[in-house]
Amino acid sequence: MFKHLGIVGAGTIGTGIAQLAALSNIDVQLFDVNETILRRSLERIKADLRKAVNQGRLAPEELPGIMEHIRTRTNLSDLGNCDCIIESVVEDIRVKKDLFKHLEAHTKSTAVLASTTSSLSITSIAALTRNPERVVGTHFIHPVDSSETVEVVRGHKTNDETVDRITTFISQLGKTAILVQDSPGFIISRVSHPYFSEALRILGEHIADAEQIDRITKTIGGFPEGPFETMDRMGIDAVFAVAQSLFDQSCGETRFRPHHVLKTMMESGLLGKKSGKGFYTYEETP
Amino acid sequence: MKKVLKKSKGGEKTDRSHVRDRIPQEKAKQSSEISQPEKNIQPLAALIFITGESPMVEQYAEICAGHGYHVCVSWNETPAKKPEFLSSNIIISGTMPARTSVAIELTNIDLPAKRKNLTKFDSTLPETAPILSSSVTVSATEQSSWISGKHRLVGIAALPSLIERPLVEVASTIYSPKETIEVVSRFFSTLGKGIEIVQDRIGMVMPRILCQIINEAAFVITEDIAALQDIDKALKHGARFPLGPIEWAERIGLRQVHAVLTALYTDLQEERYRVAPLLKQMAITDVWWTHETP
Repeated sequence: MFKHLGIVGAGTIGTGIAQLAALSNIDVQLFDVNETILRRSLERIKADLRKAVNQGRLAPEELPGIMEHIRTRTNLSDLGNCDCIIESVVEDIRVKKDLFKHLEAHTKSTAVLASTTSSLSITSIAALTRNPERVVGTHFIHPVDSSETVEVVRGHKTNDETVDRITTFISQLGKTAILVQDSPGFIISRVSHPYFSEALRILGEHIADAEQIDRITKTIGGFPEGPFETMDRMGIDAVFAVAQSLFDQSCGETRFRPHHVLKTMMESGLLGKKSGKGFYTYEETP
Repeated sequence: MKKVLKKSKGGEKTDRSHVRDRIPQEKAKQSSEISQPEKNIQPLAALIFITGESPMVEQYAEICAGHGYHVCVSWNETPAKKPEFLSSNIIISGTMPARTSVAIELTNIDLPAKRKNLTKFDSTLPETAPILSSSVTVSATEQSSWISGKHRLVGIAALPSLIERPLVEVASTIYSPKETIEVVSRFFSTLGKGIEIVQDRIGMVMPRILCQIINEAAFVITEDIAALQDIDKALKHGARFPLGPIEWAERIGLRQVHAVLTALYTDLQEERYRVAPLLKQMAITDVWWTHETP
């Protein structure tokens, strides 16, 4: 069981994990290079916890105690006492490899080093570390608080002890760990890929338009969200990045090739909800 | 400040002018319209004749009979276990009754049998009787080329279990006049279903997407990336799929999935539709294999 958790990267996933860990009475050292991002992360957590209080899911007197579990840090050496460090930075293999090399130098030798990558190779991320047996993947799905499962990705050198410790930690957070071998896209990104890629191809072949495809997948397939609605919500750039990563990691497997529509949209700033326009247009209302 | 969704012509896909160049204006307009089921519509036809593959024949029969139609069914191959219909106005007969008003052809795998069925429909049915034919493994246009009454054949996306949903994908052909589509729309309305008109292409929309998801799961299992039972869990709880790919495959049937993927591969000639070898093997037995399967 981990008592002290380090999180590197205070983005959406990192913030979500911090909140979840704090709710489980785990002390969290939340690290980012950017103090503004750290401040926003704490504000987001507070706002979410206040919402939980308003909805009766949390007692108001518990809020200060939960926030006490989270400390923000801008120095990697402040994670030295952590039992586990979870990395949640940009999805770039070079950045992650370099970070893990530095983490190893600043953290205790028994700490588990985990990456929240959704598609990059854990084996590759661990390649520059001296002890790759303690490196593991923990693919948390957004939104972290409500997603029930976490993919635990075993790298080629990850040992059983690391897998056991991280699996126990995930149970501690109230989630179910699904053990996956290190491979492009693991399970979730890979098997859900056709939901988007085939929808894009159907669109590109003018078999149906985006609204129709969304309507068909929701009404006939029972999906909660159509593929184009989902892509707009996730961000076209994020969808493209995952698809490109799958394609690269599989050394060019044709069925993973990203659709050119995504590239064009990204390059012209049509990023989905966050930019106000993607496959649909989003308007702010007062 | 609250964001509201304003559905627009974002992205490249909604310029359908090239579609309007190929087919008459009214069909292009239909392509972007959904038909909603009308309330209090009375059954249109005296008798529906349904043939093809199990279990689609049984599923369509129960739905039609449950909405007041008299139904006559037959199969290309009679199921090993004789189906027990809940509804009493379903009869089994190898011969299409003379008073059939709507014929439904539900074959995806045995295409020579499909052609035989359609030819029989064409020669026996009154000229005004529509033919609704599954077009996920062969286009409605190609099927129309097999018969002389081309105006009355309309494609539908038929796979086991999909008819239980409130919407049906329909594909018109260049031979289908507006009147045929209206009759088909009215027919599905009487079953409490709307229609969504899409272009006549193999795989259509939902079957193509679902079968590719199932195919990818088969590749994942082949590569031993995760336990079989974890794949559905991961997709349902991680990606919010309503069903996991294994569950979908069990509902649809692996032979049906294999047929759709093979048709897509043949039609599009793209490597991305290559059927996973494991899926091809499992389609022979029509069940998912586990490591315990002898």
